[in-house]
Amino acid sequence: MGKISVTYCEVNAFLYKGGSFCVVGILPAIRGRDALERYDGSNRRLMNKRLRNAMKGLTAPDVDRRRRAMEPFVRETFQVFIRYLYRYLGNEVECEDVLEDVYADIWENPNRLRDVESERQLLRTVYLYYMRKRLREVYRRMNRHLYLSQNDLTNLTAPELGLLDTMSQSELKQALGRAMGRLKARERRAIELWLQGMSVRAIANELKTTVGAVKMLKFRTILKLKEMMSEYCHEE
Amino acid sequence: MADMNRKIQELLSDYAGALRDGCLPVFLQSLTRQEGRELTSSRDFWEAAEVVRVLNGVGFADKAAIADAGLFASRVDANIASRLKKAKSSPRPRRTNGARSMTKTQKTEKPI
Repeated sequence: MGKISVTYCEVNAFLYKGGSFCVVGILPAIRGRDALERYDGSNRRLMNKRLRNAMKGLTAPDVDRRRRAMEPFVRETFQVFIRYLYRYLGNEVECEDVLEDVYADIWENPNRLRDVESERQLLRTVYLYYMRKRLREVYRRMNRHLYLSQNDLTNLTAPELGLLDTMSQSELKQALGRAMGRLKARERRAIELWLQGMSVRAIANELKTTVGAVKMLKFRTILKLKEMMSEYCHEE
Repeated sequence: MADMNRKIQELLSDYAGALRDGCLPVFLQSLTRQEGRELTSSRDFWEAAEVVRVLNGVGFADKAAIADAGLFASRVDANIASRLKKAKSSPRPRRTNGARSMTKTQKTEKPI
């Protein structure tokens, strides 16, 4: 593996793949930032104009006006919200079902969104007051057949917002890229292969080790990633 | 008898796999009583689970087959319409301010 002379930020865009570095499209996402965001002079994240206008109608007292305002609001936020939900469910169909109810709940009771000023605040508010309630309901009915306490089930499917949960998709990509750059080659390879969709057995074959060793390696690497990404959050 | 319960790293690996493949219920149902207890007491698992969710969002959310926003907006509108219909058809709530209609005895009472 040869040396590469790029800036630190650009290193984040490279991931080790098949014995050489290759671009995986993280950098454009970082530069493009999230679709909903724009920055003022102080680098404070604000919402774009269309979303702000849609949200004005959303908090109107008139039911029909609120209903009309839902369409532009859905168009502006759908991609961000569904990707956020995907983190917790990993299933498009369930994400769409939950999100449909979330939007209808927002229409019914939009008061929580009255003072929202930024995209991050919007996502946080929507998760805490609308999504979380619906996420809890997804697997609630299963609970009587499970050997898992109600509390643990809630924490697994609709957890409290951790440090990483409050970050936007682009910030997470940036943090992950930086953290991956600091991992050992074998650890990074294991995570990358997993992100490519390979099974643990296939990863074990690729790394020429056992299934148990890969599980352990993945567990330790993930804990390491957590620590590094938390450090990054605090720096930011 | 050999201990068949999975260790924390195995549970995390299975959780990550289930989340990636979109079959979380299968993982939840596979847990034994002992594994459930182990999850409750393990701080590492919950910390790692947070990163697993992040990896799931960053690595796979972009590849997911997500519906068109316009079509989805009409689905939301249909949901709102159904809620409006339900609200209209539901019976009126009972008055709770203490005002009652005249009782039978009061109605039949003759004025003096």
